[in-house]
Amino acid sequence: MMILLVTVITYVFYLLTKKLNKRFAFPLFHPLLFTPLLIIIVITLLNIPASEYLDGATFLTHMLGPATIAFAVPIYKHLSILKKYLGLITISITAGSLIAVFSSYGLSLLLHIDRSFLVSVLPRSITTPIAMEVSKEIGGLPTLTTVFVIITGVVGGIMGPSVIKRFAITSPMAQGLALGMSAHGVGTSKAMEYGEQATTFSTLAMIFAATITIVWGKLLIPTLVAFI
Amino acid sequence: MKIWTVMMQILLIHIFLFLAIGLKQLLSIPLPASMIGLVLLFLALFLRIIKLEWVEQGANWLMAELLLFFIPSAVGIVNYNEIASWQGVEIVFIIGISTFIVMSLTAFIADWIEKKKGAHVE
Repeated sequence: MMILLVTVITYVFYLLTKKLNKRFAFPLFHPLLFTPLLIIIVITLLNIPASEYLDGATFLTHMLGPATIAFAVPIYKHLSILKKYLGLITISITAGSLIAVFSSYGLSLLLHIDRSFLVSVLPRSITTPIAMEVSKEIGGLPTLTTVFVIITGVVGGIMGPSVIKRFAITSPMAQGLALGMSAHGVGTSKAMEYGEQATTFSTLAMIFAATITIVWGKLLIPTLVAFI
Repeated sequence: MKIWTVMMQILLIHIFLFLAIGLKQLLSIPLPASMIGLVLLFLALFLRIIKLEWVEQGANWLMAELLLFFIPSAVGIVNYNEIASWQGVEIVFIIGISTFIVMSLTAFIADWIEKKKGAHVE
């Protein structure tokens, strides 16, 4: 019963946010920012604990699995792109994932962030389930990493269009790789607004970033962590 | 009729999820089931075991509504009191700057390689 209720309410708020977002195109109305805010306000007013809402949300969270699998379709449809750009994607994403780890690490050291936060923030640029695995492996707190991954998605999804516009990034290849590398699935959902090619590159970026970051989790990050 | 097609296709995609979960347990692959499922669906399409039309509409719907499935995780952030601290503010700031750097540099690098490659061909 709770599952049905939570699913319906979340879906209605989500549709509402999408409408507002279409009408006003204001960053606050990003579905991953405004809808959760609405839900938090409603459950607080009704005195429902967040854990109860989350228990009811299992169906929605479960759908992340099939939704991820669905991205095989654009890759299959644009297989020629993958073959042609394999080298370029590998280099860009190897660099991008290194930049993600090192910039998070450097900025955290600079601001004297606590060890548990610092370690947990390092895999923040990749898709949640793999980020949790890497976090466990390097001695972070997987749940805290999930929070940082989601924040990364929200921030990346909101700033994506302005970055693309400001730096006049016109090639769908660069748009897709940048969005998928910097903001995983949320960036990829943004990439869909830039067309099928951008979506394909973004999906590939997400997959490559996750795979390469697993390698950094074994080879590079333990050394960085040892210096803290 | 379209809703029906989309629903049936999403069920078909679930088969790949279950196959992936089974395969992950059997071979203890260190990747999440959804990623393994993605590879399986890709292989099934590539080897023409299933037709693109069988999953395309369902997949398009799932991809278009991807953000909906992230919403519970975003609501879950309220469970982390650590975020409501000065350190939490700092870390959000760090994530913002770092995401900006990653996004813009990845775009520049990709663009640069593409242009260089293009020039090379000419």
